[in-house]
Amino acid sequence: MSVILSIPTLGLIAILQSAVVSRLPLNRGTADLMLVVLVAIALQKTVSTSWQWSIVGGLFMDYLSGLPFGIFTVSYLLATGLALIIRERIWRFSFLMQLLVVFFGTMFSHALSFLVLFLQGSEIMLGTVLQVVTLPSIILNFMISLPIFILTQDILEQVNPQE
Amino acid sequence: MNIRFPKSLRIIALSLVAIGILALALSGVFSSFSRWVVSPITSVQTWVSRQYQGVDNFVSASQDIREIRQQNTELEAENARMQAQIVELQQQLVEFEILSALLEFARANPEHQYIGASVIGRDPSPFLNYIIINRGSDDGLRRGMPVVTQNGLAGRVVQVTATGARVSLITDPVTKINVRVEPSRSAAVLSGSIKGDITLEQIPQDDDVNPGNLILTSGLGGNYPSNIIVGQITSVRSRENALFQSASVQPVTDFSDLSIVLVIINFEPVDFNPLIPDSGTP
Repeated sequence: MSVILSIPTLGLIAILQSAVVSRLPLNRGTADLMLVVLVAIALQKTVSTSWQWSIVGGLFMDYLSGLPFGIFTVSYLLATGLALIIRERIWRFSFLMQLLVVFFGTMFSHALSFLVLFLQGSEIMLGTVLQVVTLPSIILNFMISLPIFILTQDILEQVNPQE
Repeated sequence: MNIRFPKSLRIIALSLVAIGILALALSGVFSSFSRWVVSPITSVQTWVSRQYQGVDNFVSASQDIREIRQQNTELEAENARMQAQIVELQQQLVEFEILSALLEFARANPEHQYIGASVIGRDPSPFLNYIIINRGSDDGLRRGMPVVTQNGLAGRVVQVTATGARVSLITDPVTKINVRVEPSRSAAVLSGSIKGDITLEQIPQDDDVNPGNLILTSGLGGNYPSNIIVGQITSVRSRENALFQSASVQPVTDFSDLSIVLVIINFEPVDFNPLIPDSGTP
């Protein structure tokens, strides 16, 4: 799948994330639309450019976020790496694999964010973060995973049937 | 034997017969006869007419139904347009109310100059309570400018691009604002948290602070102008042996529903960094 295509697609997703998804919190957690989309793409066996898509998506999110630059990119690369390992090792994966990678991807992302903010001197407690941010975010990510997984699968079949 | 009458005689005879029949008809002799003849004709004509009217009604009704359906479609489209217009007007009304309130706030605080900005997004990370606004350095925004709503303080600009800016809300965990409590005029520090709450810390133990007291910016520290309303104390926590009291604060701004904000553009935050001595300085 063309990397050029990733720029408008993931740009639109980043805008949606900032303008819509981030305004729909559960407690203090929000869904990470970009992560869920990138994981859904990486899990498709027909896609060979997952790393590039992760970098583009991460850069968009790093640009929009006030977190130190690179946190989203590194998190998405870790999640993509996990997705690719699962894709290689498991002959027939299912939607449950998507949930597994989204879970660990969210944990990577939040652990990195927590670590960086903690080192910068933010007074945030790990227990509180897990309770009011991470757990609600995982629930929201799980909720949007199924429709995005199916949608990504369908779109990829339409857009790139020969791969 | 074939008797042939002259032609003129035949005409006269036929005329006389016709006149005679006419006279008899006018005198009413043929009335019963005509009723007997005309009645079935009328019945047949009535039946034919009814069938024709039925067919005519069917044809015109189907045409009417087509017209009604077309009108219905047009009315439904019109209705949808009107509904969309109502939603748009309601949205404009809400915006108008917000703008009126912001204008009132600006009039009530004429010492500042303001630029209105729309909130176009939030930080994608749930760890940061930041909003993104649609005004940037092209509009005169600079880093550190305070941001208010019609109710009071919202935050400050932390990053500026040409056409947009990122605003750190007062609920952000890294926020520290010097405030004072009214009416006691106690100085304290306001802090945000990851939960989105704001708390008041470092209130001197002897100071009299109570639920319902107002919190205003003090201006100390040089990051915010003074006398901007921040919130109201909801509860006070005081320990006997502690140096300071703390309090929970209900912010005056509803951060979950921010759509338009004002940026105070004539406020220059004070940079204290040159006054802080280096660690190596004796």
